[in-house]
Amino acid sequence: MTFLLAGLLPVNSWAASQVHRVDPQTNIETWSISQHGVTFSLTQILPDQARAFYVNRGFTLDQIEPFAQACVYMTVLRNDDAPDVIRYTLEDWAIVSGQATRQPISIDEWMNRLRASGAGKSAMIAFRWAQFPPEQEYEPGGDWNQGMLTTGLPPGSKFDVVARWQLQGKTYENVLTGVRCAN
Amino acid sequence: MRTSFFNGLLIALLLITPYISAQELPPLTHGLTGLESPYEAPQLKFRDLDDELIDIRKMRGELVIVNFWATWCPPCRREMGSLERLHQATQGQGVNVLAVNVGEAEDIIFSFLGTVEPSPTFPILLDLNAESVDPWKVKGLPTTFIVGPKGRVIYRAVGGREFDHPELIEQIRALPRH
Repeated sequence: MTFLLAGLLPVNSWAASQVHRVDPQTNIETWSISQHGVTFSLTQILPDQARAFYVNRGFTLDQIEPFAQACVYMTVLRNDDAPDVIRYTLEDWAIVSGQATRQPISIDEWMNRLRASGAGKSAMIAFRWAQFPPEQEYEPGGDWNQGMLTTGLPPGSKFDVVARWQLQGKTYENVLTGVRCAN
Repeated sequence: MRTSFFNGLLIALLLITPYISAQELPPLTHGLTGLESPYEAPQLKFRDLDDELIDIRKMRGELVIVNFWATWCPPCRREMGSLERLHQATQGQGVNVLAVNVGEAEDIIFSFLGTVEPSPTFPILLDLNAESVDPWKVKGLPTTFIVGPKGRVIYRAVGGREFDHPELIEQIRALPRH
């Protein structure tokens, strides 16, 4: 499936291989792939890291706990040298775990939950803007974003994630396989 | 259990470093994208850290580099020193640099700026309620725009950049002022 669209493009330019790294000090894992001129990577954010980050920005522990437990990743998508601008919406992305496929939990869903919990305005602003953008367009040559993405899967879950984008009217995708939720 | 958790929290504060570790992050590039259809820059009028009211409309006739950022945003932190070096390299050449902080209190911003080398001397605008991001079509931080002398947005960069790269500095110096 990863190579579904490879026939449209010179194969040598788009050779893809998934890279898996484990930080020797923290055991935090990163999965990344560069294909079709686009780099996509996920780095585990431990529940304690998510708690610390948002408690420092005004949330209470109780408010942020559901998010911290929702299998959070630091996500990067970057247009290195695709032939043109790429556009994505997270609604097109898929998290495949066993037989089940789901979308990442949306920012709107988190914002509604956190607003209902009585979170303050500055905390909500920090939350919104620290998330991976729900939609975006990247010009070639290095446009990119980094932000948090949640799968909602339980700690320790394994899954594949399909990141899709549009380029010149066609859909492309990078797939990371065997990604694991931090415990 | 609560004590144990707070011990964990302290450890997590130390462990937060990997989240901002350069090891896992892509290198910053120095490309700016020229817009095919430049558009009128939205309003931008906020107080800065010196309590001075800054209005982008008063900068007509010059270039304005507008950077949207926050202290908790890793690529924003990475590029801030290079933005100051760009400011120093283009000072007195009709180039203004403005950095719009999204939603943070002054003490937090001051604390971060003290760690930046060189520390920014350009205006840091305080958008406490994140009012400017939607009109400016910012979808993620950092995002940087270049506004031309006629008040139109002519370039954009999504994500962190190496603003002090010689090619980028020359690209900005070469932009028309009138």
